[in-house]
Amino acid sequence: MVLSGWEAVFFWIFSIAAIFAGLLTVMARNAVHSALFLISSLVSVAALFVLAGAEFIAGVQILVYVGGVMVLFLFVIMLVNVGAEERGNQPIMNNPRQVTISMVFCLLLVLGLLFAVSVGYRGLQKKNPTSAVQINDQTLVAGGTGTSNMTRDTERVGNSLYRYAALPFEIASVLLLVAIIGSVMLARTLKQEAAVDDLAPEVLAAETEREPELAGVTPTAEEIE
Amino acid sequence: MMTLFAPALIFLFQEESRTGVMMNSIKNPDLSRFLMIGALLFVIGVGGVLTRRNIIVIFMSIELILNAANLNFIAFSRYLQATGNLNAVAGQVFSVFVIVVAAAEAAIGLGIVIALYRNKETIWIDEIDLLKW
Repeated sequence: MVLSGWEAVFFWIFSIAAIFAGLLTVMARNAVHSALFLISSLVSVAALFVLAGAEFIAGVQILVYVGGVMVLFLFVIMLVNVGAEERGNQPIMNNPRQVTISMVFCLLLVLGLLFAVSVGYRGLQKKNPTSAVQINDQTLVAGGTGTSNMTRDTERVGNSLYRYAALPFEIASVLLLVAIIGSVMLARTLKQEAAVDDLAPEVLAAETEREPELAGVTPTAEEIE
Repeated sequence: MMTLFAPALIFLFQEESRTGVMMNSIKNPDLSRFLMIGALLFVIGVGGVLTRRNIIVIFMSIELILNAANLNFIAFSRYLQATGNLNAVAGQVFSVFVIVVAAAEAAIGLGIVIALYRNKETIWIDEIDLLKW
């Protein structure tokens, strides 16, 4: 697997864009800016997926992450109050000693990972010398550049998703159902919890003292029966 | 710790400064370049998780970490395809599942953030210390 020509140029453009957008995500003062930089990082990584011949995953990434998850993030940012951080009267980082220690840890981590990657890749080449060097794009169907053949990536992913990974696929759907129900249950207000009689009696009594209108929504004993 | 990482640094430097190797790998990026980009994104995400105070930004950093893992899966899938087996798409199938889990995690996590904000009126993680002492 060796990219060449314009593919290499686009590889470097998108990987530098992804890394810079990722850095800005972590360093931005305003959480909305963080979310927007994360969107651009995710889109750049989707472009890298296309370069690696995974068009289906790139599409899923854009639809699910950028279209779904990031919109959810933006909604939550706007629901909670982040004004203090934006105005600059609250520090955005933990205290300086923690930040120093985690920076040292990150430096060690990145050195270790790069070392492991280069050593491991050399080992891989030694074990399988034809793979990276001799076999090139002649034996491959064309990737996302679309210069020659139509890509059949989606077809192949769909085939193995339903043939070899059918059980995990179903389990993933159950996981999503649990996530839907769980987030609905977590995000209920006190009033909604009281309305379906889902509060402990002592909590309800304490809260009713603070907020008298809670008593109005509590179902009476006859209604429950 | 330094005894472990000084040889690693020297090795990396020698590897890159060998004549032609670096230029060639910039002109023709291969699997190891994909893995390095993935490693850098991963470390940026780890740094965000460790340093930021805003719990929503921490969630975003976790998304960055999962995305770096996806990049590695895709790169290895492409590498296996280049060895001749065009049906080696297990990496892509796995990254579909990673995306599913990330979506579920974001939904639950943000639900927790909303519940927490309703009860504690804060999103700073150093003020959320109910279980500390």
